[in-house]
Amino acid sequence: MLFGNATFFGGDPAIHGWAMATAAVVAASCALVGTLLVVRRMSLLGDAIGHAVLPGIAIAVLSGGRPGGLLVFVGAVAAALLTVWLIQGLQAAGGLAEDAGAGVVFTTLFAIGVVIVSAAPAGTHIDPACILAGDLTFIPFDTVAVVGFAVPRAFVAGTLAFIVLVAAAVVTWKLQVFTAFDSAAARAAGVPVATVTAGLLAATAVATVASFDVVGAVLVVALLVVPAAAAELLAHRLHVMALVAIILGVVGACVGYLAAWHFNTNAAGMIAVVLGLEYIAAAILAPDDGVFARAIGRVRLAWRVACEDRLAGVWREEEAARGRPTGATPTLLERCAAEWLRIDGSFVRDGVTWRLSPRGRREAETVVRSHRLWEAWLGRHADLPLDHLHPPAEWVEHHLGAAMRRRIEVETGWRQSDPHGREIPPESSSQS
Amino acid sequence: MTFAGLPYNTLVVAVGVAAVGFAAGVVGSLCVLRKRSLVGDAAAHATLVGVAGAFLATGRRDLATLLVGALAAAVAGLAALLLVRRFTRTRDDAATAIVIGVSFGLGIALVSGLPAWGYADSAGLEQFLLGHTAALTAADAVLLTGVACVATIVVSLLFKEATLVAFDAAFAAATGWPVLVIDAVIVGLVAVMVVAGLPAVGAVLVTALVVIPPVAARAWTDRMGTMLLLAGMMGLVAAVVGVVVSAAWPGLATGPLVVLAAAAIFGISFVAAPERGWIARRLRSVTRNA
Amino acid sequence: MSHAGVDRGQEGSRAGGPPLVEFHDVTVAYGRRPVIWNVDLEIDAACLFGIIGPNGAGKSTLLKAALGLVPMVGGSVRFFGRPLREVRSRVGYVPQRETVDWDFPVNVMDVVLMGTYGRLGWFRRPGIRERQLARDSLDRVGLADLAGRQIGRLSGGQQQRVFLARALAQQADVYLLDEPMAGVDMRSQEQIFRVLAELKAEGRLVVVVHHDLRTAAEWFDRVALVDMRLVAAGPTAVVLTPENLQRTYAGHIDVLEELGRAVATRGRTP
Repeated sequence: MLFGNATFFGGDPAIHGWAMATAAVVAASCALVGTLLVVRRMSLLGDAIGHAVLPGIAIAVLSGGRPGGLLVFVGAVAAALLTVWLIQGLQAAGGLAEDAGAGVVFTTLFAIGVVIVSAAPAGTHIDPACILAGDLTFIPFDTVAVVGFAVPRAFVAGTLAFIVLVAAAVVTWKLQVFTAFDSAAARAAGVPVATVTAGLLAATAVATVASFDVVGAVLVVALLVVPAAAAELLAHRLHVMALVAIILGVVGACVGYLAAWHFNTNAAGMIAVVLGLEYIAAAILAPDDGVFARAIGRVRLAWRVACEDRLAGVWREEEAARGRPTGATPTLLERCAAEWLRIDGSFVRDGVTWRLSPRGRREAETVVRSHRLWEAWLGRHADLPLDHLHPPAEWVEHHLGAAMRRRIEVETGWRQSDPHGREIPPESSSQS
Repeated sequence: MTFAGLPYNTLVVAVGVAAVGFAAGVVGSLCVLRKRSLVGDAAAHATLVGVAGAFLATGRRDLATLLVGALAAAVAGLAALLLVRRFTRTRDDAATAIVIGVSFGLGIALVSGLPAWGYADSAGLEQFLLGHTAALTAADAVLLTGVACVATIVVSLLFKEATLVAFDAAFAAATGWPVLVIDAVIVGLVAVMVVAGLPAVGAVLVTALVVIPPVAARAWTDRMGTMLLLAGMMGLVAAVVGVVVSAAWPGLATGPLVVLAAAAIFGISFVAAPERGWIARRLRSVTRNA
Repeated sequence: MSHAGVDRGQEGSRAGGPPLVEFHDVTVAYGRRPVIWNVDLEIDAACLFGIIGPNGAGKSTLLKAALGLVPMVGGSVRFFGRPLREVRSRVGYVPQRETVDWDFPVNVMDVVLMGTYGRLGWFRRPGIRERQLARDSLDRVGLADLAGRQIGRLSGGQQQRVFLARALAQQADVYLLDEPMAGVDMRSQEQIFRVLAELKAEGRLVVVVHHDLRTAAEWFDRVALVDMRLVAAGPTAVVLTPENLQRTYAGHIDVLEELGRAVATRGRTP
């Protein structure tokens, strides 16, 4: 059992080009199908199908089918539907949880497939190493003639599969989206949910078989799920997600292939690794809830809170007794914020005391107004003792926008003062 | 020296693998009942990286070294699962699939790269993919038996706590039990048994060893303790059948045979078990309708 | 702790000791999004206490926060004037029935015995005393003859009573029950209520999350109306006024929801 390495070809760029193109086109198919699997929480079913198509493919090959041929596709789709039928049957007839059922079914079918392949006579187009890691090394040499050019059979099959899947996706997209979003509502609205789901599973089988030669039965899950999961972190609309997933899949396949060439190792494995790196990058760099974006959001909020607290703090000091030093020592962050506000022109420093510039005063009044409005709202709508109103308002004040302040003003009956009897500053004329 | 027609080594290995099958069934029962059936699969696919990594780091190929590496990688794979869950909005099923696919890809890349990188004696590592008991020595078998015994003892010590957490984690937490710790022990034991199952069943299929026997055992009984014992026995039988058949059929990896034996046990259980079996259910619904 | 409010009552407080349960400015968030805002509540006498509110009001969340099952982002809960971890064995819990898999391979006795695990501690198995206690608990809920039955073969009401028996086996002083009457037949409801009334008569506090207003007035001595925040709390007759109910069931939570979104995204509302 030996896995083919990418360097097997030597340096012929045409050969490498064909192998890479094949990997890219099947990765695109898988990413497209995987998008729907991921949003429908069927990722593990995708994994199960990846394993379970093996006996279908093996039997088809032994009955004379060629890898990438129609018979093999039929065998694989049959095996995929059998898998899902078995899992659902075990669920319905035996009360078996879906993941446990999948664990039983795909391991069993995969074991059957391995036994069939092992028992196959030598010279058959399939062997255990190919099951595990694909057979990209031989793809460029098994060619068919397409308008006079020798094109690898797997590339032709992969391209056809991709075209069929894209066409199917375009035609049924609305149904798929509706079913993915809310299958109960879709069923109520007359969408044939079972058929839509069966179609998705058949598509998964088609994408799996097309990828079988490239990455094998085990690694196909990486092509199906990883680009789609990464795309889900980057995009919010389903068709954008599908597009991003396809791009990530294709880039992952090409970069992975080149990496395998460079490091002199198996291409399927490296493609999975590169897809994993793409996922990690997406998780870190995703614009709205990536690790980075969230850290930046945290820092920005802390800074905004510090600035607003300083402004409001000085405003309150002025309200209480002009120029009286504040009771609480500002934190380092707040002192930095104060310095920035001076540079920014919200504060004027007058000897040892800080004063608000007209603009600073407007901003400060907005914060204090938010704070006191919230105390008034809580005092009216929640059963809270008077001395418990301040802490919640202390953080809510930073989250109230102008429209919400107006609404609260209405809901609290246009009160002029907060529950402690302090004046609520009027909304400043400029927008904040 | 032979026994029942089997060479001595096969016999010793069969005993070791049988112990692993037993412990895997017992540990797997907890995992299945905790609704974490496929956690073991993520750990299993990650082990290959550890096998290759341990070989790269030490240059040694003895089973203990490779399995220590495999265990470290399995734990790292589970940690990656936790990280994905903690820091992204990727759902659990996709997270599991990501760990399975990417870690296995890395493992394949490493195992394929080793000969090309000048590690000529790395042949044999790929036997951890589908299992190959013929290469095991008596010492390996003793090691596996030891691991299996320890895992079984831990389960018997923590039986009460594990049952509580698996049945009702909220109640367990409300009454002061450290659910995370108990969960970590359960998942850790699964990782250990997955690793112990590697030599016999292989990374791709070893999850069957912790899923199929428990599910089959559940069909026969409504008591937790009985289920654990039964799952252990079924795992043991499946393992022994797999080893013996593969000894008689050298061209074939052991893993698929163990899985098929377990699947046969499952099939019988699912159809024929009293009360919960398919026939019993059909009979009940027929008599109800009559 | 001196503050005004409806339920900071003078009557019935146990020998002037600390309140049995005290929520202090409790805010609970899922992710970063608050779902319970600033709940302040004290219960200082043994009674039947109902937590009432519409669906999605956060009643169960409040209970879970009190038990440390969901983290609080602000505030604290104390039992008998002490943090929960010091007095866990005195606090009993009945979770919602749907939270567990009733196909689990345990029988009724096994489940009730789980109530004794907290006191047993690590590694020790239940013995004769625990079994007797479990049998007594089952007897109290009227299920003594079903001890050996697999829990999946019970009716919904029986399952709920098994959970109650498990809590009884905890021998606690404060009981927290999450929707014990949901999806339960009338006979079981009456049986459960009878046991709860017994507990109160024994001087224990019983806090029940409940959604049915009709039965609330008749069952509970005191209630708290909750809708993302505490609307009102106190003696049932005082609290269940049309005005309070209007504020609970057609309240102002859209303000809280919008604000919750803003907090979750670390931004501002419009």
